[in-house]
Amino acid sequence: MSMRLPKQVGEWISRDKQIRFTFEGKEYTGYEGDTITSALLASGVKVLGRSFKYHRPRGVLSLANHDINALVTDGQDTNIRADVVKLTKGMTLKAVNTDGGVINDKSKYIDSISPLLPVGFYYKAFHKPAALFPFWEKVIRKAAGLGVVNFNYPRINKRKLNDFCDVLIIGAGPSGLSAALSAAANDLEVILVDENQHLGGSLTYDRAGNADTQQMLDELVAKVSASPNIKVYAAAYAAGYYQDHMVPVVTADGITKVRAKAVIVSTGVFEQPPVFHNNDLPGVMLGSAAQRMIHRYGVKPFNKGIVVTANAHGYRVALDLINAGVKVAAVVDMRAQGQKDEQVAELVRKGVKIYTGFCVYEATPVKGKLGMSGAVVCPYDESTANADVAKAVTIECDGIAMSAGWAPAAALLYQSGIGMGYNNDIQQFVPNRFPKGIFAAGRVNGVYSLEARLTDGARAASEVASFLGKKVAAVSVESHQGTSPSHPYPFVHHPKGKNFVDFDEDIQIKDFINAAKEGFDNIELMKRFTTVGMGPSQGKHSNMNAIRILAKIRNLPVEKIGTTTARPFFHPTPMGHLGGRSFHSHRLTSIHGWHKAAGAFFVDVGAWSRPAYYQKSGLSKLETIQQEAQAVRQSVGIIDGGTLGKIEVCGPDAAAFLERFYTGVYADQKVGHSRYVLLLDELGVVVDDGIATRLADEMFFLTISTSNAAAVYREMQRWLQIWQLNVGLVNVTGAYGLINVAGPNASKVLSKLVSVDVSEAAFPMGSAQTTEIKGVPVRIVRAAFVAKQAYEIYMPTGHALSIWKALLEAGQSEGIRPFGTDTQRLLRLELGHHMPGYDTDGLTNPFEVRAEKALHMEKPFFIGKRSLEIIAKKPLTKVLVPFTLAVDYKGEMPQDCNLVIEAGGIKGRVTSISYSPAAKRIVGLAYVAPHQSELGNVFDIRTDNGGIAKATVVKTPFFNA
Amino acid sequence: MKLLNCPMNGTRPLSEFLFGGEFREMPNPDTSSDLEWASYVHYRDNAPGVKKEWWYHSPSGTWFIAERNTLSDEVLATYLYGKAPDATKTTKPRAKKEQSE
Amino acid sequence: MAYQLLKFALGGEYKEPRFFRDCQTPKKSYDAVIIGGGGHGLAAAYYLAKDHGITNVAVLEKGYIGGGNTGRNTTIVRSNYLTPDGVNFYDASVKLFEGLSTELDINLFYSNRGHFTLAHTESAMRTMRWRAEVNKHVGVESRVVGTDEIAKACPQMDLSCSGKAPIQGALYHEPGSIARHDAVAWGYARGADSMGVEIFQNTEVQSIDVKDGQVQGVHTSRGYISTGKVLSAVAGFTPRITEMVDLKTPIVIHPLQACVSEPMKPWLDTILVSGSLHVYVSQSSRGELVMGSSLDPYEVHSTRSTFDFVEGLTSHIVDMFPFLSNVKVVRQWAGMADITPDFAPIMGKTPIKGFYLDAGWGTWGFKATPISGKTMAYTMANDKAHDLIHSFRLSRFEEYELTGEKGAASVGH
Repeated sequence: MSMRLPKQVGEWISRDKQIRFTFEGKEYTGYEGDTITSALLASGVKVLGRSFKYHRPRGVLSLANHDINALVTDGQDTNIRADVVKLTKGMTLKAVNTDGGVINDKSKYIDSISPLLPVGFYYKAFHKPAALFPFWEKVIRKAAGLGVVNFNYPRINKRKLNDFCDVLIIGAGPSGLSAALSAAANDLEVILVDENQHLGGSLTYDRAGNADTQQMLDELVAKVSASPNIKVYAAAYAAGYYQDHMVPVVTADGITKVRAKAVIVSTGVFEQPPVFHNNDLPGVMLGSAAQRMIHRYGVKPFNKGIVVTANAHGYRVALDLINAGVKVAAVVDMRAQGQKDEQVAELVRKGVKIYTGFCVYEATPVKGKLGMSGAVVCPYDESTANADVAKAVTIECDGIAMSAGWAPAAALLYQSGIGMGYNNDIQQFVPNRFPKGIFAAGRVNGVYSLEARLTDGARAASEVASFLGKKVAAVSVESHQGTSPSHPYPFVHHPKGKNFVDFDEDIQIKDFINAAKEGFDNIELMKRFTTVGMGPSQGKHSNMNAIRILAKIRNLPVEKIGTTTARPFFHPTPMGHLGGRSFHSHRLTSIHGWHKAAGAFFVDVGAWSRPAYYQKSGLSKLETIQQEAQAVRQSVGIIDGGTLGKIEVCGPDAAAFLERFYTGVYADQKVGHSRYVLLLDELGVVVDDGIATRLADEMFFLTISTSNAAAVYREMQRWLQIWQLNVGLVNVTGAYGLINVAGPNASKVLSKLVSVDVSEAAFPMGSAQTTEIKGVPVRIVRAAFVAKQAYEIYMPTGHALSIWKALLEAGQSEGIRPFGTDTQRLLRLELGHHMPGYDTDGLTNPFEVRAEKALHMEKPFFIGKRSLEIIAKKPLTKVLVPFTLAVDYKGEMPQDCNLVIEAGGIKGRVTSISYSPAAKRIVGLAYVAPHQSELGNVFDIRTDNGGIAKATVVKTPFFNA
Repeated sequence: MKLLNCPMNGTRPLSEFLFGGEFREMPNPDTSSDLEWASYVHYRDNAPGVKKEWWYHSPSGTWFIAERNTLSDEVLATYLYGKAPDATKTTKPRAKKEQSE
Repeated sequence: MAYQLLKFALGGEYKEPRFFRDCQTPKKSYDAVIIGGGGHGLAAAYYLAKDHGITNVAVLEKGYIGGGNTGRNTTIVRSNYLTPDGVNFYDASVKLFEGLSTELDINLFYSNRGHFTLAHTESAMRTMRWRAEVNKHVGVESRVVGTDEIAKACPQMDLSCSGKAPIQGALYHEPGSIARHDAVAWGYARGADSMGVEIFQNTEVQSIDVKDGQVQGVHTSRGYISTGKVLSAVAGFTPRITEMVDLKTPIVIHPLQACVSEPMKPWLDTILVSGSLHVYVSQSSRGELVMGSSLDPYEVHSTRSTFDFVEGLTSHIVDMFPFLSNVKVVRQWAGMADITPDFAPIMGKTPIKGFYLDAGWGTWGFKATPISGKTMAYTMANDKAHDLIHSFRLSRFEEYELTGEKGAASVGH
């Protein structure tokens, strides 16, 4: 049966554009502009979903995303909010969380056994006997959750934008629109955000048959559109408030991070359901939901119904219903005082019966609770929340509109750190202490009459202008007049319960009472025990009622109960929106393309991508590495070291700076020579090592290991600032490429390209020279990390590839081979060099790696020296030693991190181990107990499968280099 | 995202900055006892309140001091090391100019 | 079980007793005062009463019980640490957890899921190997597994992480579990209360009275309480308490944030942690994904949320599970983590006689709840550190004897 009304003034649907879709296997038609829910309601569908816990049939409650009664799946996406998601062509929809369809849900039996399942029952059941819990857990897990995730759902990366303004106004109802216009008039740049496609907030539905409001709305919106100072984000919600006035605004296509100088929160209020038996039946809805149906979507909420109310709003709802052709059988006013104004009189004139001081005691379900057939109304005692059942009146109807009060949509205000106090005149929490730059206007600020809301918007805007340093006249707003918009305790006790407070989580009044009886009588504990407000609607329709119940139970004023902490997000926000394009930064050297073409297997080292080795078909990783190493040992190899950190330290105090920063001495270092550097932290822990080359009296060139480069450079900068030395630091990591040519034929290859003499005699270890390769200026440093004869060649980054190629060409006759980091690690191991971060960890001190000779304790100061003096007094607990296994070792190959075991206890671990083709045996480095560290000592390494490998402490290098 | 005022580059989003920990005055290593030194390297002035901290503006490589309330996360002042706005007369006039940028 | 449910159905009037008394007025004096009504403080009170017969104990909680990090963590329980001392300690905790639902007669939903610490780099794999070797040595079930085993346990995951950080392997820790965190606090509260311990909520400690190096009592918002033994078990509030007794510690407070998705039908059976992507995730018994990340990058003594956190975390979650793009995050929150330089707790006696510290829990406090309670109760009752916590002593910093957990602190949770 179609519930579609004739065209309504201001409606959001386009009646000339029909949309076909299916729900639960049946075909329906809606209009463009409909949401899924409105289209279903227009088609006469009342049961939209099943509840989370009891699987009760549910219909529309708020039509505003303040509840999750209507969650659907389209087969691709799940947990779609049908109330607010637009209907699109061809949608094939089903309700989530049903077992066999929304009408015939096989899990509906759970509702009838619900007395078995009181609040927190799961804490008291299933755990005894313990052996059976895994079985129960499976049963419980099957019942958990809402929608089913589609594992084939495509990855969606939403865009992120930044936007800036003087004032961000959240909520474009009357107060927000008015604030925007006033702020714009004061020359402020305004961003106005509203979650609906159409601006106007409650003006778009709370009409009470008054056409003036539509005209007022049209005028306001026209002025806003005409203002060059106002930028509107419609169909966009403010997801949360973050420090320094940053508010992410979420739209269908992404997130805009809005940074404002001030924020006006004019987010209005959420209508709260009065709580009576069966208040969740399809057909029972909030008054504002009925109004949204009529005015936004042209849908008749029901045919014959009643309005249960406790404020003036309910009477306006009744008028709207009558104008929409609904037979309003009665208005049931829970207040003993009732309401006396023109609208009441008009309703009486129209023949509506007013039950003042009455409540709805229960809604009468039809079969299967798929709808309702009537309401039982009784005289109501406001002080006890009891109904006088003896005087019950039964009213036949298929719908109930509920308007008993509101809760402020104050989540963003809470997140900003606002103080809220309870105002008894309006029975609502209102702001009473504002953080800098945060303002509130309209109903969230406790201002209710339409006129006052418009003024309140202007007032907030003037306060913003004055906060931003403009001279503006103050605006004042009258305090609330007339009856309270919210009932202080809109509950009706019923022996059968099923009077729902939280529709997401199926929580009833008695659940709160029982929780309190068990001692969970603090609002946060109550929330955690009952799970009120923890569902996807985050308490929008339930938190205020929970607070009211707890206040009643504890006999305290509502203010004393306080509220639970409001956390982002205002509406649940998709991960694809939040994550956007995920960002993983990578640095590549200028030779990267060549490596790739040559079959390099890349590994990440810090931010860099480096070749670990160059794959050869038919060879295993291990074989490849061994071959690359042999090329270096027997002839010559090259490695791209461009990722190494490179710092120039220059100025009159350059040597003094290095002497404080590193453990060594540099004042007497000759120009053209390099020295080892070792960096400790203030605790005396090994951080990094490298080479310092003195290029001139006042100029050193430092290398830092790849993964430490950024951090070490930062520390250099910090200490330089503290020491105030006359030194300049230049990070040239990216400016220079580095190629290391190593092996007995290295000088032979290099000499083909350079004019300087690179022979052993002319270019000994530790020396450095500047020359040219193919016209490119290069700096060559003689180093010995991977081979006895090795040259580090530094060149401007842009020329690294051409020099790399030149070296390969020059070395062709010598069988030159590129090698990667895995091979480099083997080569340096063969020479006995340890690597910080590989053979050391976050606690290793230099004594443990036998680096004493790098420590110049006679210097007045270096970082870590004072701690070393303390550590030196303590006995060593472990020492890194080089070891070999027997030449004929046949057991399981020990691995990095295998433990050194003595008498059943851990004494240390292997940090590096490999078969060395040069030494022709397995060699490695391991931490052992000091008493095991003597040359020739044999210790036990336990292999993966529990075998023992006997290792002998030896000297390095491991082979005759 | 929070904003922070780099004394050299002005107000920038926090993502451009690195936290360098509490600013601690180093005791004289030659005269301090082992315990005093151990205390300096390990212990922190960790109760909430206004603290001097090291911050680093990554894109420009600028270390500076921020005086920040660690309870409210409010930054009261930022300046280069040794150039506190209220420091004694030894403060160079340059510091003030940088502050106002 | 069935009997318990029938009792609810047939009981008529709801007769479940209070979990713990509503204490309002403290006595003048207690044998011990515990500051902090979180899991740790309540567990210490419980074991003081149960193991040592010390029942004249007050637990002082500034807010409500379990409202601090007990109720803010991602509920993971595991023992796959790096040092033998760490592994032994947390293994003892896991064993207590396994019997805790029965002991406290409350269903903690202790759910054994298995725990994968994913390694995306070679160096992470090395750390996994190291941890596995030590775990194995101590008798804790941890082993390095390849991608095939990960794929079998979690077939939905994109093992290449959208090509951005391909997974190379993982440390698989079979005992890894999750539990209903709030219920742990409630269970200990009920157990302690039933033996006579008094729990005061909304009770703030204002100062601690120390004379001649010995604790005399505490000034609270409910008046002065005289006692010779005070335990501080306040996690992120530790610096505010240690300041009262002029005790220096290396602790720094960094917020740790987490978030939760809307409920969906269960699909993720295991607990996944990625140090490189700064992600840990499991699915709760309600069907929500509970997700966390690394610590906030700077010190703040509040539980404010940041957008940076949720942006970073979700981008990595979607790298791992591209199909979650349109699954929504419902709520984010934060706790204050008390971080130590060596990623191990600070437990035991202090230079102030009668002042005991249970702190430095960083991001790993929940999993230690039972064992910290048990060992601190022992330490307080005997004024002697329990063997299991010797290496966690406060003096280790002055002694330059930091614990080895710092050695490979790539993964914190």
